[in-house]
Amino acid sequence: MSILQDIKNAVRSRSIHVAYVDVGSCNGCDIEVLACLAPRYDIEQYGIYVHNNPREADILLVIGSVTPQWVDKLRDIWEKIPEPKVAVAIGNCPISGCVYARRGTLTTPPVENYIPIAAQVPGCPPRPTEILNAILSVAPLIYKDYEEKQR
Amino acid sequence: MRSIFYYVREFLRPEWLKKFFFAKTAPLVSPSYFKDYPSLTEKECTACLSCMMICPAPGAIAVLRKKDGWEPEVYPGHCIRCGLCVEACPEGVLASGRILDVARRDKTAFLSWYRLQVDDNLCMRCGNCCVSCPVNREVDPQLAGTGTSASDEVIMRIEGGRVTILHEEKCTGCKTCENNCPNRAIRVARMVEGVQGEEAEA
Ligand code: SF4
Ligand code: SF4
Ligand code: SF4
Ligand code: SF4
Repeated sequence: MSILQDIKNAVRSRSIHVAYVDVGSCNGCDIEVLACLAPRYDIEQYGIYVHNNPREADILLVIGSVTPQWVDKLRDIWEKIPEPKVAVAIGNCPISGCVYARRGTLTTPPVENYIPIAAQVPGCPPRPTEILNAILSVAPLIYKDYEEKQR
Repeated sequence: MRSIFYYVREFLRPEWLKKFFFAKTAPLVSPSYFKDYPSLTEKECTACLSCMMICPAPGAIAVLRKKDGWEPEVYPGHCIRCGLCVEACPEGVLASGRILDVARRDKTAFLSWYRLQVDDNLCMRCGNCCVSCPVNREVDPQLAGTGTSASDEVIMRIEGGRVTILHEEKCTGCKTCENNCPNRAIRVARMVEGVQGEEAEA
């Protein structure tokens, strides 16, 4: 069993599938996630693949301070992701609401109220390296020996 | 035939193979000039609150009372790393990236003042703003109740059933009046002007 687990660990460490969802951001953080895909940072060399299909994803990147229309849809997306899964909050918006957290705001942050968040990447927007580091450091915590931890 | 041989040999060079299979872009570190969250320098904070006043992000910075003096604290998750607090601090308590060096080189600085505005449609002439203002209290200790005052030196007073603003320039931007207004009729706006050259040195 442990050999099988070792194989799974090795494969999973080089195959992290990511979906990202924008639940009402200013697009700043979306651009930074996009920059991760571009050759300068090249997310795929670290074994991270962006599919944007929750059914294939291991990690959900949540971007933006949650607008009321997104509340139930975000939960739907989260439920569609197969176990094991984690959500990472990208930017200040899902953490605190950032500049939108004012009197009379139309957003309803933080995102923690709706789905469990495993890691937060503060910044407005965070650097692509910070996003990459967060994904790379949260993934092994969740996926390493997942089956053995379940028992 | 010979060309194919050279072609294949070219591709079988170990360093080429190594680069092909293990290519990595630059390691994941931020450059030294990156404008990160403001960090503290050795300088002493005078609790003038310029940093809190200029900060555009809600809840990003607070000047806290520590055992030996005051100290600004920046909260990641709220701070947008704009660097305005670094530039606004007259003591140079905060530092981030090259902001201080560039401000010194270009001789730039911020001037700021406050603007008071009363919405006459919302104001019900209770005088709470005039009474609660700490500057008013100091100027005219008699000022109480209705917000009328015999002194011409107060920031604002009720005159003929209306709030009249006399000395806007004395306002320290504490927003006590805003918090004590039951109708949110009075608004304190911070005005900031960026200046360069001789003006900035003054
Ligand atoms: S954290 Fe800043 S850059 Fe990111 S979505 Fe929010 S406002 Fe935009
Ligand atoms: S860098 Fe900008 S957002 Fe952050 S504490 Fe300073 S003024 Fe506020
Ligand atoms: S950090 Fe600078 S601007 Fe902020 S209260 Fe202290 S001295 Fe004033
Ligand atoms: S902001 Fe403070 S100092 Fe200025 S008018 Fe209001 S109470 Fe007075």
